[in-house]
Amino acid sequence: MQKKSSVSSLTQPGQRTAFDRFMWQFNQLLKIDAMNLVILVVVILIGWSIISESIPNPARYLPSPLAVVLSSVDMMVKGLLPSYFSDTLTRLVIGSAIGLAAGIPFGLLLGLNRTVADMFHPMMNFFQSVSGIAIFPIVVIWYGNSDMTVLVVILYTSFFPIAFNVLSGVREIPIRYVNAARTLGASRYQVMKDVLFPGAMPHIATGSRLSIGFAWRAVIAGEMLAGRQGLGWMIFTGQDTDSTAEVILGMVMIGLTWIILDHYLLRPIEADTIERWGLVQR
Amino acid sequence: MSALSAVSISIQRRFGRQRLRKILLGSIPFLVMIGVWHANTVFEWLPPVFIPSIGDVWEAIFFLQEDCAGFVPLIMLDNSCLMSTHILSSVGRVILAAIIGLPFGIAFGILAGMNRTVSKFLEPVGVFANSISGIAWIPLAIVWFGVGWVTTLFIMLNTIFWLMFFNSMLGVRSVARVYEQSVLTMGGSRWDVIRQVYLPGAMPSIITGMRMSMGFGWRALIAAEMIGGDSGLGFMIFTSAAEFKIEEVFLGVIVIAVIFMATDRYLLAPLEKWTVERWGLVWKPT
Repeated sequence: MQKKSSVSSLTQPGQRTAFDRFMWQFNQLLKIDAMNLVILVVVILIGWSIISESIPNPARYLPSPLAVVLSSVDMMVKGLLPSYFSDTLTRLVIGSAIGLAAGIPFGLLLGLNRTVADMFHPMMNFFQSVSGIAIFPIVVIWYGNSDMTVLVVILYTSFFPIAFNVLSGVREIPIRYVNAARTLGASRYQVMKDVLFPGAMPHIATGSRLSIGFAWRAVIAGEMLAGRQGLGWMIFTGQDTDSTAEVILGMVMIGLTWIILDHYLLRPIEADTIERWGLVQR
Repeated sequence: MSALSAVSISIQRRFGRQRLRKILLGSIPFLVMIGVWHANTVFEWLPPVFIPSIGDVWEAIFFLQEDCAGFVPLIMLDNSCLMSTHILSSVGRVILAAIIGLPFGIAFGILAGMNRTVSKFLEPVGVFANSISGIAWIPLAIVWFGVGWVTTLFIMLNTIFWLMFFNSMLGVRSVARVYEQSVLTMGGSRWDVIRQVYLPGAMPSIITGMRMSMGFGWRALIAAEMIGGDSGLGFMIFTSAAEFKIEEVFLGVIVIAVIFMATDRYLLAPLEKWTVERWGLVWKPT
């Protein structure tokens, strides 16, 4: 009941008490996401520092936030951090760009014919479920510990989810749209351009995000396993050389990069695409 | 001839014409792939060091199980029964992580989702934890727990927990407040609200999270076993690759794929479908 009265008083400015006004301002403050984030980060940093102060040998098990910041400054000065970061990002961009560029047309082509689509659907599903990390040992035997190995693994992980998604998307387009276009005299190419491609657009967007997400994990794992320079390699060698601050720094970098990539680039694109091209069946 | 057509009609009746067509069509690419694979061994396009023969991969099962003394050592994960030991330790870890991680993730997610202020605070935590969960934790896990059993379990748990936490939190938050308020108005306790509103309302989201967490968790587990494990299928394929025993690598990859697909297709996907049909599409007041 108490809760209810305070809620109603918020909507009627005349009857507010000082406490209500304070609570209202406080609530307004909480609504700002940036404020939330700042409070959250401060709380986490304080908790982290307390834990790190109270355990024996923090440099090995859990370095304090300050140590992580210092190590990042150190790596910035040496120029290692930017170079690792750009290496990882380059790999991701090249690998997923080739994967997407090959996967989208492949999925569309398979989807052109219902029989062919039904034929390849289980196989694409199979390869989509075999994670790129699992085929890593095979690729290592083929190419050794080289950049090629990492690239092949990324290509594999980004190609199959997108191709599978595009194929599923094309299969879900109601057959009467294709028939309608064909009846009006559209060629195979026109059907693909005007019916299948726009119809599969939401699936293409979702599949791309999925692909890039898997590729990102594959980049990190590939760098660790194949020993190529990058963020994954940085956290792996950090563990080997007992510099845990570098490991945590790398983890934070990996997390932040993915958040920025996912929330500010991929998700908006996906949402816009679904809004523009989705709901084909009105 | 008539007998043959009668048999084919009865088969079609038994399985359904469309399903039969899909199964038959879907098996063609696999058969072609196996055919090309076999042709490769016969004509030696690529040397057997790169692609082993099908026979070798089949033989590898028995080679790995060679010293197995019977059922008891097989269950005890004895090192003499390598194949079954690796499979059982991977699957056991998945089951253990699911038993611990799923209830904890769901419980904490619902608790966090109940209070909207708290959940708004915790949402960034979920986003951040999900974006570094899995592989990126492996080096730190090795520092904390050393190479072995605990590290792999930790990675799997970490992946499962955060996905479940995040999904059930969002699920609870998506339930319309009217239901909660109506249960409270009719004199229901907090526990009634959880049991009758939050849990069913968040169910589709929870089950989707379960399926996702199994997918991501299985991938993370394989990577964790490769880098920081001492048993399991990931460990098996990684060490076999280091010894250039490619037939064992192929065997391991196929087993990993089959286990994952079987779990996803015959356990999680039907569960998801059933839940969405049963609990999903809750009427939303405008």
